[in-house]
Amino acid sequence: MDAGRLTRIAAVAANTHREAVRERVLYNLVFFAIVMILSGLLLGQLSIRQDEKIIKDIGLAAMDVFGTLIGVFLGVSLMSKEIERRSLYPLLAKPLSREEFLAGKFLGLSFTLLVNVTVMALGLYATLLATGRGADPALLKAVLPIYQGLVLVVAIAVLFSTVASSALAAVGTVCVVVAGRYSDVVRNMRDVVPDAPTWLIEGLYYAMPNFRNFDFKNRVVYGDPVGWNDLGFVTVYWLLYLALTLGAAAAAFRSRDFH
Amino acid sequence: MQPASSPALRIDGLTKTYRLGLTGRVTRQALHPLDLEVRRGEIFGYLGPNGSGKTTTLKVLMGLVRADAGTVEVLGLPLADPAWRRRAGYLPEHPYFYDYLTPAEYLGYAGRLLGLETGLMAARSEELLRLVGLSDSRDVPMRRFSKGMVQRLGLAQALLNDPEIVFLDEPMSGLDPIGRHMVRNIILGLRERGKTVFFSTHILPDAETLCDRLALLRAGRLLKVGRLDEILAIDISHFEVLCTGGGAAAREAAAAAGAGAAREMGERWRVEIGEPALAALVSAVAAAGARVLGVQPVRESLEEYFFREMGGDTARDPWTLAD
Ligand SMILES: Nc1ncnc2c1ncn2[C@@H]1O[C@H](COP(=O)(O)OP(=O)(O)OP(=O)(O)O)[C@@H](O)[C@H]1O
Ligand SMILES: [Mg+2]
Repeated sequence: MDAGRLTRIAAVAANTHREAVRERVLYNLVFFAIVMILSGLLLGQLSIRQDEKIIKDIGLAAMDVFGTLIGVFLGVSLMSKEIERRSLYPLLAKPLSREEFLAGKFLGLSFTLLVNVTVMALGLYATLLATGRGADPALLKAVLPIYQGLVLVVAIAVLFSTVASSALAAVGTVCVVVAGRYSDVVRNMRDVVPDAPTWLIEGLYYAMPNFRNFDFKNRVVYGDPVGWNDLGFVTVYWLLYLALTLGAAAAAFRSRDFH
Repeated sequence: MQPASSPALRIDGLTKTYRLGLTGRVTRQALHPLDLEVRRGEIFGYLGPNGSGKTTTLKVLMGLVRADAGTVEVLGLPLADPAWRRRAGYLPEHPYFYDYLTPAEYLGYAGRLLGLETGLMAARSEELLRLVGLSDSRDVPMRRFSKGMVQRLGLAQALLNDPEIVFLDEPMSGLDPIGRHMVRNIILGLRERGKTVFFSTHILPDAETLCDRLALLRAGRLLKVGRLDEILAIDISHFEVLCTGGGAAAREAAAAAGAGAAREMGERWRVEIGEPALAALVSAVAAAGARVLGVQPVRESLEEYFFREMGGDTARDPWTLAD
């Protein structure tokens, strides 16, 4: 890979992050802060042993939910805007390949999410400390897979945005993310549609990334040890789906026309 | 290195059909096999009514739209070779460059994509912002920009790498008279420095005064390519005689010699006459006390040509069903 290619990818990534910051899409962090302060205030009065778990539980769940929302929103809007508002045209006329553009876009979005998750994690620790509890480093074992899940959400959003309008892309991404979170629903589809062929159900089940795999919240909060091999397995699973999703996005993006 | 003798742009048999709808059954052939050659160092005008395929051609050249067939060479290199893109510039039709950036930031971004060295790029962008009249707005976010200001930035980014060939899709669109004058000067300045300019336009007088050669496109087909004087018919059987003074007597003498009604232009007046009666008319008006200032063959304007050739063409519904 030549240096020019890296410079171009970095330039697109930096501009993507700058857009996320300037367009004020990180306001979700304010909501997160409010949730954390409220939960801290409410539970600050109580002093039973359970309350620390509740703060952690609420904090991680809020991180996951706000992160997913922001991942879908950012992934779809920042990618489709380039196509729909045609800001992409003068860029692609320069020595920037479509794959480089896609890579830069994805990396920029992932970086923005990293900033997001980091700030939220710091907020969670701050709440724990402010209410007189310890900063439990094991929480990071839940935060890391949450971040991995969010990056996958962004990749799916980018894939949909390369082939569909922003509205369709948002619907498609939400469908895949919901199906991937409640993948049992797909398996139990037979209860609703008795005639559905087995291969279709199994195919769908395995094609959808299973977002449950990234969920270590309960295990971490309730002190069930999470080993490095668990995280390693999730990382391999994550990389596999990431490669498939981004590969499909690159193929779709390469062959399309920009009207 | 390719020989400098290769044309700036060579298009051979370029075809593009758009498909509409999910099934792609409704099609529109935007370009019929199109052949075109643009020489190095010339200003080339690309003209045609709305929907004739100008933007489509430029999008194919820029790699935004894939052609169905045909080959393209830019600066002697095949279209797929990214090397020529370093040496080319492009202004899209109705450009948009991120609301949240300032012109200086956008040019910085573009410069990094072009692989320009930072110091050189900063100097270039200051110079270009001055050239297009945006120096005062260099740090204003573009969401506060008017249409013409965006167009000006579009021009600046197209010139950032000091390109050997520039592709401009309607560069005058949205500009005030001063802006249009500026664009004309920029284009002429580029030619002076040996650059090639390929631009599409609807403004016929601009095409007439600027272009070394031009192409006329109609419904995706090339109608004419060449120098203006090759394209426009010069009617040497009719002449225009420009006179001054002489009062009513001279005008009557002109009418008697067979000319149409005189057209008054302040001090001066003008009549048209067929070639056989020209000499008689000139001496008759002179005898009646008028001064003859000039005699010129009647020449069609590009606008008259355009109306003659294209009139009634745009109303046709071009969509067809594929089988
Ligand atoms: N995205 C598209 N999908 C389908 N047809 C298209 C698309 N873009 C252009 N066309 C068709 O291709 C033809 C050429 O369009 P093009 O935009 O190249 O014209 P143009 O010469 O640039 O016109 P204008 O002067 O209005 O800018 C038109 O008939 C148009 O209907
Ligand atoms: Mg056009």
